[in-house]
Amino acid sequence: MSDEPLISIPTAAEAALVRRLRARDETAMTEFYDRYSAALYGVIQRIVKAEDEAEDVLQEALVKIWHAIESYDPSKGRLFTWVVNISRNLAIDKIRSRQHRVSSRTQGLDDSLAAQRQAAPATFRPEHVGLQEITKQLVPEQRQVIDLLYFGGFTQSEAAEELNLPLGTVKTRARTALKVLAKLIR
Amino acid sequence: MENYQEILESGRLEQYALGELDPAARAEVEAQASRYPEVREELDALLAGLDVYAEAHAITPPAGMRERVLGRVLAEIGTAAPTAPAAAPAPEVPTMRVSASNPHVASPPPAAAPTARRSGWAIAASVALLLSLVGNALLYTNLQQTRSDLAVALSEQTRFASATQVMERRLSSTQEQLHVLRSPDEYKLVALAGTPAHPTARARVLFNKVAHRVYVDVAQLPPLPPGKQYQLWALDQGKPVDAGVLTAATTAGDGLQQMKDIGSAQAFAMTVEPTGGSAGPTLDTMTVIGNI
Repeated sequence: MSDEPLISIPTAAEAALVRRLRARDETAMTEFYDRYSAALYGVIQRIVKAEDEAEDVLQEALVKIWHAIESYDPSKGRLFTWVVNISRNLAIDKIRSRQHRVSSRTQGLDDSLAAQRQAAPATFRPEHVGLQEITKQLVPEQRQVIDLLYFGGFTQSEAAEELNLPLGTVKTRARTALKVLAKLIR
Repeated sequence: MENYQEILESGRLEQYALGELDPAARAEVEAQASRYPEVREELDALLAGLDVYAEAHAITPPAGMRERVLGRVLAEIGTAAPTAPAAAPAPEVPTMRVSASNPHVASPPPAAAPTARRSGWAIAASVALLLSLVGNALLYTNLQQTRSDLAVALSEQTRFASATQVMERRLSSTQEQLHVLRSPDEYKLVALAGTPAHPTARARVLFNKVAHRVYVDVAQLPPLPPGKQYQLWALDQGKPVDAGVLTAATTAGDGLQQMKDIGSAQAFAMTVEPTGGSAGPTLDTMTVIGNI
């Protein structure tokens, strides 16, 4: 594991930030940006690919987080999980609506998968967590499944179809991969 | 009921972590997590694992994006923030004016709140009603579809049943004919030959003297003018006795036809009579005749 602190792990600073956002302190937004933008942008960029669209989605996500912060419930999960999910959902909505425009969904999915496979090594910027460590822990098949599910916006059934694998295989790989990842911070 | 081991193995927690579940299913998983510490722990671990994965893919946004994005975000939330407080005091302005000009009329403001609340309820009720109507419409459509499917199935069944009855009738009639033809001891075969006016006409009668049964079997008869039917007569001691009229199918030679029972006869003959038959034969139309 990297010895740098993970921002996904809640701290007192995070709790204070949540309080300030709830108090409608706009300066807290700047701090929020500095703390989370790289992680959120990384996820968004991996999903939507296009840089200008990623910027739009990041902006939408920040506005949504600002308006929805009241509904964030710390007992259900960490702030990081919550904000990443908001960003991820907006990004997935973006590619889904784009695929609608193109009207050929399969085409869109193929494109995004191919682009992802090629783009993956170039855009890796292990800044906080040892990504190499993750790569070492996950076998390529598990990586592929997790990438499709997490960055491709695929459901497990869609991923099974995309990879031409039985659904059970995809589920097993996803589950094993998630367990491996979970172990990394245990 | 459920136990936490089943939940851990159901795959639902993974789906939750990956964001695959709909809100209802999410709420269910959250409820399970609050019931079972083991589920909570597993779910947190899965979520944390994905968080680490997300964080591992962090990309520092390009230079210049910070100012652009933060600027637009702050502008959006900044303009949104003042409008909300500005909108709230607005209704209070007339309230204050009313109470200032006429302190006794202080009732409108309290009335406004229940009205608003009531209209809120009214909207909620309307939405609920609308949803219910849509639901009912869907159910009604389904019901209609099911009913028409059922009607189709029932009419198919009726058609099949009547077809079966027809087949059974035909079978029993065929069996009966076969029995008649295969029982030379019971049935006496009477050949009816054409009269001089109709030399090619031929038919036969199968007569059971004991049971008094009479069947007729046509080989060839001249075509009938409209409104006429062939009628069979039994001649007993020279007296003609009505044995019934031949159906069109029998006249065409399609099969045996059972005629009226005849007690005693020495000969059979056929004449052409008006449809439905006559009480006595029109002798000059006699087509075939044969003695037993």
